[in-house]
Amino acid sequence: MSHDHDHHHDHDHTHFPDDDLPEGSVVDGAALTKDIEEAFDFIVVGSGAAGAVAAHTLAKAGHSVAIVEEGPWVKTREFGERVYEAFRRMYRDSGTQVLEGHSYIPLIQGRCVGGSTVMNSAIAHRTPEDVLAEWDENFGLGAHVSAKALEPHFDALEQELNVHAVNDDVLGENNRLFLDEARKESLPARKMHRYERNCRGSGRCVTGCPSAAKQGMNVSYVPWALALGARIFASCRVERVIIEGGRATGVLARGSHDVRLRARRGVIVAASTIQTPNILARSGLRSRAIGEHFQCHPGFGVGGVFDNPVTMGFGATQGAECIALRRTEKIKLETISMAPELAAVRIPGIGHELMQRMGSFANLAVWAVVVRAEAEGTVRPGWGGRDRVKLSLTPRDMEHTRKGTAILARMMFEAGAREVWPGIYGLPGVLTSVDQVKLIEQAPADSRLFSMITTHLFGAARMGVDPRTSVVGPDFQAHEARGLWVVDSSVFPTNLGVNPQHSIMGMSRLAATRIAQAASRGSSAAA
Amino acid sequence: MTLSNLETRWAEAALGAIFPGSKDAGMAGIRGMDVRGFLSEVLGAVPFQAALGLRIAIWLVALAPLFIIGRFKTISGLTQPDRERVVAALVGHRSYALRSLTLILKTMGALLWAGDDAVRAHMLAPAPAPAPKNELIPLRVKRAAVA
Repeated sequence: MSHDHDHHHDHDHTHFPDDDLPEGSVVDGAALTKDIEEAFDFIVVGSGAAGAVAAHTLAKAGHSVAIVEEGPWVKTREFGERVYEAFRRMYRDSGTQVLEGHSYIPLIQGRCVGGSTVMNSAIAHRTPEDVLAEWDENFGLGAHVSAKALEPHFDALEQELNVHAVNDDVLGENNRLFLDEARKESLPARKMHRYERNCRGSGRCVTGCPSAAKQGMNVSYVPWALALGARIFASCRVERVIIEGGRATGVLARGSHDVRLRARRGVIVAASTIQTPNILARSGLRSRAIGEHFQCHPGFGVGGVFDNPVTMGFGATQGAECIALRRTEKIKLETISMAPELAAVRIPGIGHELMQRMGSFANLAVWAVVVRAEAEGTVRPGWGGRDRVKLSLTPRDMEHTRKGTAILARMMFEAGAREVWPGIYGLPGVLTSVDQVKLIEQAPADSRLFSMITTHLFGAARMGVDPRTSVVGPDFQAHEARGLWVVDSSVFPTNLGVNPQHSIMGMSRLAATRIAQAASRGSSAAA
Repeated sequence: MTLSNLETRWAEAALGAIFPGSKDAGMAGIRGMDVRGFLSEVLGAVPFQAALGLRIAIWLVALAPLFIIGRFKTISGLTQPDRERVVAALVGHRSYALRSLTLILKTMGALLWAGDDAVRAHMLAPAPAPAPKNELIPLRVKRAAVA
């Protein structure tokens, strides 16, 4: 594709934010020749949406900050097109992580500097006000985490990361088809709002943006924090937070050697919904709420073959959405352009039948339903130091999935698709008329029949006022240890029904601002 | 974890059944690609449980001819059409475990096959427009009755 040639060409001349980092600011844990012991004001565990924002906020307030990241720093210049290479280098467990339950659902997480923001589609949604009201009513968060408290942080994030609707020149046909059809059906849909500067529509969000247009943490808050004097220890897995006398005093991490970092003021854990609860458990916290109330947003994609080229290889990977059914049907409808490798898994059939369908790839559109699932699961330490995540979707979750799938299939036919590939076991692999959509509506609401995937993760170190049922208080501090804050989506009392990155960053910025203010007050008092 | 030569041959046969390529579409089959090298790399990169799952999937497909089509042969001993029949039956099997394990193989194969430059180029090229659905309706001319 000519677009890719453009990127390679530009690589030679363009300066990327992760090209020239301050000398000594990046420590490669995989290349250590001896143990390290250093001290900072704050240690931040994780460099994804939550960790990067917290580190930047604290560094900006004048504190010395160390970020500890389990994965490597894969630079923009190293990003390729192939999904397997991205899986191997940047995804947790090389992309093989799953939710275990009634069915096995692939669970996608980044494991690199920038975390999942390196391979997500950079979609920004403020935390819905009805969700915040739910958190207030059921978990007593009140003014601590309210729309008013979050607003200045969302404003700042949107400005700093250049949030705006997808530009027309990179909308791409997959997104345009969705928007046109939604408009015809009077379904409120819109272009997605994303963190990006000069997106070229390479359609390669999932393997890392080749032009650093996507404002992932790897090209924004992490380099910005380093420019303010922070340091990052990449390829260092945090074994535990050191807690002495009821207070967090540092972390013990391992690269090729031990990395022992002392925290003069505290430790901020932002290792993600899956890793945070297990780090807390390994650190000696005993709350019965650790690892409980895990939630997610499972997603299910539907393919449609059109007479004209759709060319998913060009355009915003995800550029159009409808959230009008979020409260009533618990679903969000959206587009998602698939890389050939991922489409080859999802396209029905094998052998010559599959080959024939793959020949239609250029004319394939993929739209998806994302469900605000009511199911709750658990996160526990697994065998061999891994994480074990269990969750079984409820029949109601599957009814919502099925309903969204039927809506999308109908929309595709109405938009002119000559075939729709529902990907539901027991149904024909190919539907050829809108009349057949009723087969989807009649399919059993059983997760074993749907090939789902999940990326949005919540809970497992829940926030609340009651230490018996929550892990951290409304001030983000662990009930069991002073100077230990958790600022990622593991503290979310519930899931959201919209993409979580903005909420994660907003909550993290809110928490870090308060932590920095408290630290300044402490310094003033001491002086 | 590494695969034996026998397991590699089974994997090549199974993946060849899923991704045989297409002369019509100008897409190469997976058999011409480095299946052995790719699987070795995957098995070295993924966690033990995932590697074990892949290995079980290979054994499942290898021995499936016996219980799917009643032939006392492994997958590599079958003809291409029979291999496709066996793998198709597993992908569509009523047992969730069997079809999920087979899907592991399809996933691995997809990462290799569709990651190939030539295959990607063909997939990303616009397909020719299909023939119109409605055939021309033959005109019937009625002669007007001449008074």
